[in-house]
Amino acid sequence: MRLTRHLMAAASFAGVLATAGPLHAESITLHALMEDVPETQIIEAMLPDFEKQTGIHVEFEKVGYGDMHDKLVAQLTATESYYNVLEVDFLWAGEFPKAGWLADLKPFVDKSKYDLTPFIPSTFALLGSSADNVQLIPMYNYSMGMIYRDDLLNDQKLKDAYKAAFNTELGLPKTLEEYVQISKFMKANAGVAGAAMQGQRGDPNSMEFSNYLFSAGGSYLGADGKVSLNSAEGKKALDLYVDNIKNGAQQGALSATLDDTMRLMCSGGAFSMVTYWWMLPQIDNAEKCPNVAGKAKLASMPGGSGESGGWGWGIPKNTTPESQEAAWTFVQWVQSKDVSVKRALGGHAPVRADVYSDPSVLAKYPYYKQAMDIVSGGKSFPIFTYSAQYEDTLGAQLSLAGGGQATSEVALKAAADGLDELMKK
Amino acid sequence: MVRPIEVGRTTPDHEAKKGGLVKRWIANLDREWKTGWAFALPGFMALAIVMGFPLVYAIILSFSSQTLLHPDLWPFIGLDNFTAVMGDSRFWGATWLTIVYSVVTVAGEFVAGLAIALMLNKTIKTKPIYFAILTIPMAMSPVSVALIWRMLLQPNLGIVNGLLERANLPRLDWLGSADLALWTMAFIDIWQQMSFVVLILAAGLASLPREPYEAAEVDGAGHLQMFWFITLPMLRPVAMITVIIQLINEFRTYDLPYVLTKGGPGTSTEVLSFFAYRRAFLGLSLNEGTAASIVLLAIVLSMTVVFFSLLEQRR
Repeated sequence: MRLTRHLMAAASFAGVLATAGPLHAESITLHALMEDVPETQIIEAMLPDFEKQTGIHVEFEKVGYGDMHDKLVAQLTATESYYNVLEVDFLWAGEFPKAGWLADLKPFVDKSKYDLTPFIPSTFALLGSSADNVQLIPMYNYSMGMIYRDDLLNDQKLKDAYKAAFNTELGLPKTLEEYVQISKFMKANAGVAGAAMQGQRGDPNSMEFSNYLFSAGGSYLGADGKVSLNSAEGKKALDLYVDNIKNGAQQGALSATLDDTMRLMCSGGAFSMVTYWWMLPQIDNAEKCPNVAGKAKLASMPGGSGESGGWGWGIPKNTTPESQEAAWTFVQWVQSKDVSVKRALGGHAPVRADVYSDPSVLAKYPYYKQAMDIVSGGKSFPIFTYSAQYEDTLGAQLSLAGGGQATSEVALKAAADGLDELMKK
Repeated sequence: MVRPIEVGRTTPDHEAKKGGLVKRWIANLDREWKTGWAFALPGFMALAIVMGFPLVYAIILSFSSQTLLHPDLWPFIGLDNFTAVMGDSRFWGATWLTIVYSVVTVAGEFVAGLAIALMLNKTIKTKPIYFAILTIPMAMSPVSVALIWRMLLQPNLGIVNGLLERANLPRLDWLGSADLALWTMAFIDIWQQMSFVVLILAAGLASLPREPYEAAEVDGAGHLQMFWFITLPMLRPVAMITVIIQLINEFRTYDLPYVLTKGGPGTSTEVLSFFAYRRAFLGLSLNEGTAASIVLLAIVLSMTVVFFSLLEQRR
C-alpha cells in the first residue's frame, strides 16, 4: 500500500516536471556569434540580469571579425542554425536578406508593439531596414573618427619643430593632406608612429581607406547610383593613404588588424589612429593603457566625414519558433532604453537618440557630443549583395598600392571596375 | 594391376581429384573473399561517407549553377564555372604561387628533416626525448601555430624583432612586406611540418641494413661517400613517400594564409586554396569555388600518379 502511494507520488511529480518543462523558457539557450570587441564584453557582463528576468540563457561565442562571415554562412545554409540570434554587420545587410536567411521581424515588432521611434533613422537605413521593412534591429554604431595623442599635439618642442619645418602651427588637422603631413612629422620627430594603421587586406584596410576617401571628398557611388570611385578625389585619397602607409605608419602596417593598432596605440607607440570612436574609452583606461590614459582625444575625420557602419540584431529563419520568440525577447531587452543607457555607461556606441542625450551618459562621457557629430556626419560603404566580396576586391587593390606592387592609378581603376562589375552581377 | 598414366591425359580419378581441389580452392577463395570484404566493408563505408560522397557532390556542384544565393543545383551549366575561374588572372597567379610555395616548403622540410634524422640516427640514449620534443609542433593545430607566430613576429611589439634590435640588427616587416610575407609563411610551415618528415626519415634510417656500411668501411669509404652512395639510394622509397605526402599537404595549405595574412599584402600569399575559399564564401559562388578546388585536386592527383609511377620504375 505504502509502495503504491510512493509510486503514485513519484508519477505525479514526474508528470508535473514533464508538463512544466515546455511552459518555461528555461530550456532555451540562445547562441550568438559575436565579434570580440568591447561592445560584446559590455553586453556579456549584463547577461545574468537577462537570465534572471526571463529564464533564457544566452551564450556568446566571441571571435575576430574576419572569422564571423564564414561561420555564420555555414550555419545559415544548414538545415537548422546553431546560432539562434545573430549579430549582423551592415556589410552583410544586403546579402543575408537577399539569400532569405533572416526571419522577418515586422510580425514580432507588431505583435509586441515594440517602439522603433527612438532609434536614429540612419542606423536603420544603414542596415537596409525601415519601419515597414524590419530585417534587422540596430545594435550599435561604429562610425569612425580620429583618436589622437593630445599631449604630443601640444608638446612645445614638437610645436616649434613643426613651425620651423612647415611654417604653420601644429594643431588638429583640418584637411587630409594636413593629417598625413602631421603623421609623417610625428614619425620623424616624436619617436612614435604617426598613425597606427590597419592595412591588412580585406575589412581592415577597406574600412580605413573609406575614411580617407570621404575625408578627401570622394565617394564610392554618385548621386545617380553609378560608381564614382575613380575620380580626382579618389586618387588624392589613395595617394595620401599610400603615403601614410609608407612614411607615417608603424612598421608592419600592411599586415595589421584592428587589434594590432589598438595594442600599438595603447602602448603609446603611435600618435593617432583612424578607428571606431568607441575605442577611446579603451585607450583612456588607466588600468589597461597606463602610458596613454588621459592623453588621448577624439575628433571627426578632417573634412568632417568618416566611414559609418553598424551592427544589427537578426533572427535566423532556420530556427524553431520557440527559439525565435526567445531571440526576440532578448533583442527587445538588449535594445531597451534602460539597458542601452547602462551599456553606454560602459562605453557602448548607442543607436538610440535618447541615449546620446541622457544626462548620466553625458556626465560620464562628455565626448559623446563629438561622437554624435561623428555618427551624424558618417558616410557608408556601398551596401549591396556582394559588399563582403567588394571589401576583399578593394582591400587587395589597396594592399597592392600600399606595398608598391601597383600604382595608385592602376589600383584605383581596378577597385572601381571591381565595384561596377559586382554591382551588375 | 597398375594402369600406367599417360602423360597429357587424365584419368577419371584424377579428374575427380582435380575437380575437388578446384572446388576446395574456390570455396577457400570464396571464404577468404568473404572474410576480406567483411573486414574491409566498414572501412569502405566510412570512406564512402566521409570522402566519396563529398567528392562526388563537389564534382556535381562544380558543373551546377548553385551559389549561396541560388541554392538549387539545376540548371547544370557545363564547364562555365571552370571557364570563369580560369578566366580570372588571379587564379593563375594563385596556382603559380601554390607551386612555388609547395616546392620551397617541401624542399626545406626535407633537407632540414633529413639532417635532423641523420643526427638522431647516431643518438641512442636520448632519442625518445628528442622525438617527444619534435612531435610538439606536429601535434599543434596550424591555426594555433599561426597565431603564436603572428604574435612572435609582430613588427612593433613582437619578440623576434625585439631580439633583432638587441643584436643591433634591423627590425623586419615579416608579414607586412610583399617580398617577405610568403617566405615567412613558408618558414613557419617548415617549422611545423618538419617534425613529421624527421619521424618518417628516422624510421627509414633505422630500418636500413648495416652490412653495406660495414663493407664500405672495409673498402675505406668516407662518411660523405657512404651517405651519398648507400644511405640516400636505400632511403629513396621512404623519401619519395614523404615528399608525396608533404607535397599534397602543402598544395592544400589554407590555415596559415588565412590567419597570418588573409592572402596579402596585395596578393603575395594568395594560394589556390585561399582563392577557392574567397570565390565560395566571399563571392558567394559555391560552384566556382568548388571548380577551383577540383582543379587543385586534379593537380595534386596527377602529381601523385607521376611520383608513384617514378617510384615503381625505380623498383
